[in-house]
Amino acid sequence: MNWKLRSAYLAASIAVAVAIGACGSTSTPAAKGNITIGGFAFSEGSVLAELYGQALQHDGYTVTFKLNLGSREVVAPAIKSGQIDMYVGYAATDLEFYNSGAGEASGDPIATTAKLNTHLQSLGLVALTPSNTVDQNAFAVTKATAAKYSLTKLSDLAPVASQFVLGAGPECKTRPFCLPGLQNTYGLHFKDFKTLDTDGPLTRAAFKNGSIQIGLVFSSDADLNQLGLVVLQDDKHLEAADNVVPILRQAVATDEAKTVLNSISSKLTTKDLVQMNSQVELLHQDADAVTLAWLQQHNFSS
Amino acid sequence: MSFLSKVIAWFADPANWQGSDGIPTRLVEHIELSAEAVAIGAVIALPIGIVLGHYGRFGNAAINLSNVGRAVPSFAILVVAFQAFGLGNLPIIVALTALAIPPMLTNSYVALNEVDPDIKEAARGMGYRDFAQLLRVELPQAVPLLMAGIRTSAVQVVATATLAAEIAGGGLGRFIVDGYAQQIYTEVFGGAVLVALLALATEVSLSGVQKLLVPRGLRLQKAPAAQRATTFKTA
Repeated sequence: MNWKLRSAYLAASIAVAVAIGACGSTSTPAAKGNITIGGFAFSEGSVLAELYGQALQHDGYTVTFKLNLGSREVVAPAIKSGQIDMYVGYAATDLEFYNSGAGEASGDPIATTAKLNTHLQSLGLVALTPSNTVDQNAFAVTKATAAKYSLTKLSDLAPVASQFVLGAGPECKTRPFCLPGLQNTYGLHFKDFKTLDTDGPLTRAAFKNGSIQIGLVFSSDADLNQLGLVVLQDDKHLEAADNVVPILRQAVATDEAKTVLNSISSKLTTKDLVQMNSQVELLHQDADAVTLAWLQQHNFSS
Repeated sequence: MSFLSKVIAWFADPANWQGSDGIPTRLVEHIELSAEAVAIGAVIALPIGIVLGHYGRFGNAAINLSNVGRAVPSFAILVVAFQAFGLGNLPIIVALTALAIPPMLTNSYVALNEVDPDIKEAARGMGYRDFAQLLRVELPQAVPLLMAGIRTSAVQVVATATLAAEIAGGGLGRFIVDGYAQQIYTEVFGGAVLVALLALATEVSLSGVQKLLVPRGLRLQKAPAAQRATTFKTA
């Protein structure tokens, strides 16, 4: 080929090399260490794990994701034993988990997280600043059921609870904000408890075929309306401050990591989380793509 | 407390023996699921295998199809059936029936095919027509292999019916799945022990049924010489 074409090719390849080099150098300075982040086995768990994990990645950490581990019964031992370095928890539920259901959680996220840290301290863990983003347990019925029995709040269930089957994950039987809470705070005794999954496809299928009349969902779920489900209002305030809060092993809780994570927590809102959930649950997009878009929108990535 | 003593304590706890979550309820659910799957599988597999074996045709096709069926994982069938049929017992029955068919199909084909041709010819000579020959001469000869196929099927189905718990079904798998989700390993182990015991019980009881169904002549063929001599009259 003649010299004009060859020099054009050469210029183009140099330009590409420089571009790749430039992109590469701005996004990864010297590696800052490894962090393994674990996620709960529901779609929002993956969303939050990817969100905080990718923020750390863009700051230079090498992040390993272990998503869909299970409930807190799996995740808590994993972080205590060092198999994972962090997970994204919910202040009130985590407090009641680590204090064995002592009933210390309140509606105040700061106080709840402070109490959580007193229990985490001796385990070598630390909870960071809670976000204003909230995702609480919520109990839903189908629109038809709500209309038939005139249900708008949980107290309305008192006369009909003995005819209803409650569906949730197996851990609901021991969580203070789930079955025990409904029994103690609202005096509800259901006909039966059906073990399904935690706000997953089994719960939704069970609503559809009528094997449960009331089920556990999450307040930040995006697909409830589309499925014909309506959440009953928590009028006696059973649910407490379940604010999103990252929980880390003290060993990886460096000042820099904490700064990155706290800045995500401060920028994240419940509305954002519901929006991301809807993209994953309704539009079936991948959690990591959805969170990357949020991070880019909020200037956290190159 | 050692792990084994915790498991024994789990079995000893009366709370685990009552209610909709108790061992008896789950045992009955498990037996119902397994029996249904084996029965439906038998209705499908046995006639096909028996007819093909009697005429000695399409044996290779039947056996190969059977082997392919054995290779398909039951869990995969279960998930696909769940997508198609939703919650309930139908998906697990579909998966378990798919598991139950291959052993019964293969064994019934081979059982009928391997009947001694001399016996068949003798029956023909005595005037037995096709269907009567099948019913009264060949099938009794085929009982040991046939029952072996049914036993294999039943034990496999009992062991695999634990999968029902993965899609919110009942049965002994509930202890395994729920215990695992909450990391209560005594419950997992207890459930596993119960399934193993049930599988053993299935094998033993079906062996008993086989002993009853094997015709006297076949049983005596395998008896020691002394007993044989005194049972048949000579001259």
